[in-house]
Amino acid sequence: MTFRARLLLGFGAVVLVPLTVFGLRIRAEMANRLAAEYQRRVAALVAVIRADLDQRSGDIASRLAALREALARDNRFRGQVVQGGDRTYVLDYAGDAMRLSGLSLLQIQDDAGRIVSSGHFRNEYDRTDPALPRLLATAPAGTALLRARGAEGPLLALARVDSVRLGSRAFTLVGGIAVDSSFLAHLTPDPELKVAVVLPGDSSAAADPTTQVVDSLTVPFVAGGDSAELQPARIMVSHSLASLAALRRGVAFSFLVAVLATAAIALVLASWLSTRISRPLTALAAKTADVDMDRLDVAFESDRADEIGALSRLLGAMTERLRAGAARLREAERRLAMGDLARQVNHDVKNGLIPIRNVFRHFVQAAREGPEPLAAAFRDRQATVESSITYLENLASNYARLYPHPAGEACDVNAVVRETIGRMGDTGRAEIRLELMEGLPPVRADVLALRRILENLIGNAIDSLVDRPGSVRVSTDRGAPGNGTPPVRVIVADTGRGMTQDELNRAFDDFYTTKPGGTGLGLSIVRRLVLDASGSLRVETQPGAGSTFIVELPGVKA
Amino acid sequence: MTLLSLHRRIAILGLLAAACRGGGPHVEVPPPTPAPGDTTCVLANGRTVARDTVSVAVSDPVAAAHAPLPRNEAERLVFGQLYESLIRLDCQGRPLPGLAKSWDQASGDRWAFTLRDNARFWDGAPVTARDVLASWRGRDPALAQSALIVDDHTLTVPGAGVPFQRFADQVLAVTKGAPGGGWPIGTGGYWMTHSNPASPDELVAQPIRPTPGRPALKIVMAAPTASRDALDAGADLLVTDDPATLEYARTLSGYADLPLEWGRAYVLLAPGRDKALAGDLRLETLREAVRQDARPAEWTGSGRYWFTDLSNCNLPAGRDTLGATGRRRRIAYDQSDRSAADVAARLVGLGVLGPGAVAAGVSGAAFASSLRAGGDAAYVLELPRRVYDACRAAVELPPWAAAGTVEPLLDVRAHAIVRRGLPRMALDWDGTLHIGPP
Repeated sequence: MTFRARLLLGFGAVVLVPLTVFGLRIRAEMANRLAAEYQRRVAALVAVIRADLDQRSGDIASRLAALREALARDNRFRGQVVQGGDRTYVLDYAGDAMRLSGLSLLQIQDDAGRIVSSGHFRNEYDRTDPALPRLLATAPAGTALLRARGAEGPLLALARVDSVRLGSRAFTLVGGIAVDSSFLAHLTPDPELKVAVVLPGDSSAAADPTTQVVDSLTVPFVAGGDSAELQPARIMVSHSLASLAALRRGVAFSFLVAVLATAAIALVLASWLSTRISRPLTALAAKTADVDMDRLDVAFESDRADEIGALSRLLGAMTERLRAGAARLREAERRLAMGDLARQVNHDVKNGLIPIRNVFRHFVQAAREGPEPLAAAFRDRQATVESSITYLENLASNYARLYPHPAGEACDVNAVVRETIGRMGDTGRAEIRLELMEGLPPVRADVLALRRILENLIGNAIDSLVDRPGSVRVSTDRGAPGNGTPPVRVIVADTGRGMTQDELNRAFDDFYTTKPGGTGLGLSIVRRLVLDASGSLRVETQPGAGSTFIVELPGVKA
Repeated sequence: MTLLSLHRRIAILGLLAAACRGGGPHVEVPPPTPAPGDTTCVLANGRTVARDTVSVAVSDPVAAAHAPLPRNEAERLVFGQLYESLIRLDCQGRPLPGLAKSWDQASGDRWAFTLRDNARFWDGAPVTARDVLASWRGRDPALAQSALIVDDHTLTVPGAGVPFQRFADQVLAVTKGAPGGGWPIGTGGYWMTHSNPASPDELVAQPIRPTPGRPALKIVMAAPTASRDALDAGADLLVTDDPATLEYARTLSGYADLPLEWGRAYVLLAPGRDKALAGDLRLETLREAVRQDARPAEWTGSGRYWFTDLSNCNLPAGRDTLGATGRRRRIAYDQSDRSAADVAARLVGLGVLGPGAVAAGVSGAAFASSLRAGGDAAYVLELPRRVYDACRAAVELPPWAAAGTVEPLLDVRAHAIVRRGLPRMALDWDGTLHIGPP
């Protein structure tokens, strides 16, 4: 994982984890407090409803009392129920009385429990239901919920009972007010609070405590019909948790938005910060990657006052120390090489001077013997002196070739090849064949260096033929084009003795030679001159079959 | 009532019952009209006082576009004065001359009707047999096609398959179109002269020719809730079944309360049943369930209610696709019908459908749709007790009626509140009130 990724993750964790914990905690605390508040409101409403029901029960009682008195005074009613006959007035009485008294339910029964008049269900007359007034009379506080029959469906009412005596007959009055949606809605002015009546066996109306805060109060209930006893009904008050759920969703949404926004800001900030931190490190790493023994000039300067600046300066100091060490190493190598060279020169010069000294001693000895022996000795040893002198001259020329010459102008390779071949004169048994491609681009090189490259390669090729006939082919052609002008290749191939792998490995070492009288510097100089000309040198050889030296020099535009 | 008239009445009803059942290939000539002076169907209201105009208060709207086929009781009253069929039936079902002055048996088991010599449309044009057929063609093409014109005043119709009483039906009233639309031109004793632009609910029917005892009729629309106001405003005649109005009218010394015929019946119609729903219940207490003048359903005379025997009508027997469990356990009624609501409530109170069943008032169009579909366990609806053609009336019943049960529950009737001294009025068999001399 990259330093930048770690920085991003770390930054995100540092920001998001506390934010998440904070949000969840706020959410839970808010839910708990609101639920407790809802519970208090529900409990308070239950108390209010209890008081309200008591008040309404009192209202019903007072209305029934008023009806009782009116009924006692009503001679027409009395006449019809006591004396019989047309009872239309009686049948309609409860309906009119019910509406006038503001009740929703009114039933008048005779002493046998027979309905003589019904306000909410006029046409249930003559049905007997003696249990109803008895059950209502036994209800605590005299009030109960009653499910009464209606023509168009049952009617739920809060009912009481009263009685009146007309003549020798007793009549009961069952009156009540409808417990319908408007009644329940009137019990609570708060739309978030819901009041419902749960009758025995009514499971569908039960409030779900997972979605609501619930409380209830028990009210006696008369089921009507064949029911023989009071049953408990409940007036259930519930506070929906929907608003809390909505609030939770809102908080969750806001929290999510906050987390996303924070994460985005953190991401951008962390990215900017990590980039700001990692960029100098990356640059420092790139600089460090450039450092090697051939390149210790990488600058590690930094103006930064922080750790990265200190690191950069430390790397710079370390590079500086490496550079000094490398210089010392090169100097030691140079000195070692110069020592080797000096010893070689000493050895070579001595090799050339020893014959001359011997000849000179011979001449000294012969001169003591007289002019004749001196002349004879001179004649006899002249060739040896000349040979030594030639050897020393060659040796001097070869050492002189170790000095590099700066390259210079664009030159025609074919022209240099022809000139070099022409200057070499007679090559004896070797046949030199030229295969020059016309139209080659010029190369930028020192003409003299190029001539020396060719002289060495062609000379080595001729020398490789030893004492057997063979040929040397010198050819030029166009190399593989790169981005610009194609390079020019100079190929010197011979049919000589070739080289073994070991010989090839050492062929370009200074002072290595397989030729008697060779200096061992020819191919070393060739390689150096080729490299100085920004070219390349390649050898293909096979023992007994000859060698091919391929020099490739970069071409330039004419 | 004399012994002779009783015998004759029994004979007439027997003949009509035979005609209603479709009869055999041979037809009998209906008996002659009641003897002059028979006042069985005349509404007695005391000594007649001559007057030019009688104000008639009606509680339903009267529309010219419906003429001559009434759609409510007000139109029945008004159209009955304006349009004539070949015959009339008095309240006992005895034929009376209408547009036809006489009828007889013709060859080929046909009846021959002879038109009145002075029969004329309102515009003065004489009424011919062709006019009769032209009127029938639009309302009963089959009958019109089977009728034959003998001469300008005589036509014959097949006697088999057509009950003779049918020729008293307003469906077969003779009319012709009025130029420019409006009221169709009829042949009755009155013609509709104009509407008062200042009082769009007021109509005036003038007698065709000045006749003693036939005053002009001013028809005033009075909502049912304003019936007492109509009496206070001076209405001479009010037909109503509103108990409050009747009770109020009885307190007015200038008016007489004349109960009309038991003209309509409340029935319990139950689809998919082969057993009566209310058969075992104490239906005698049903009368007290409604406010209007009612009695437990009772068919007097021979035969029975037309809707209880439709086997001769070849009605398509609708399949019961819902079944008992597919129906709502409720007794449905038209919520605009107060008495139907009372009857349905009483049936629920008596436990006709068992515990938990309810009565359900359904608005007009929805009730008609529900009735057609038969989606409720039972229906309470009001039907005419007497119809001229039972099979034709049965078409108005839901298609499943033939496979269900129809139980008559209550007979109800309206009352005529009549100002004392009004001209003579007579009741027809279908309850139509005729004002003026016969």
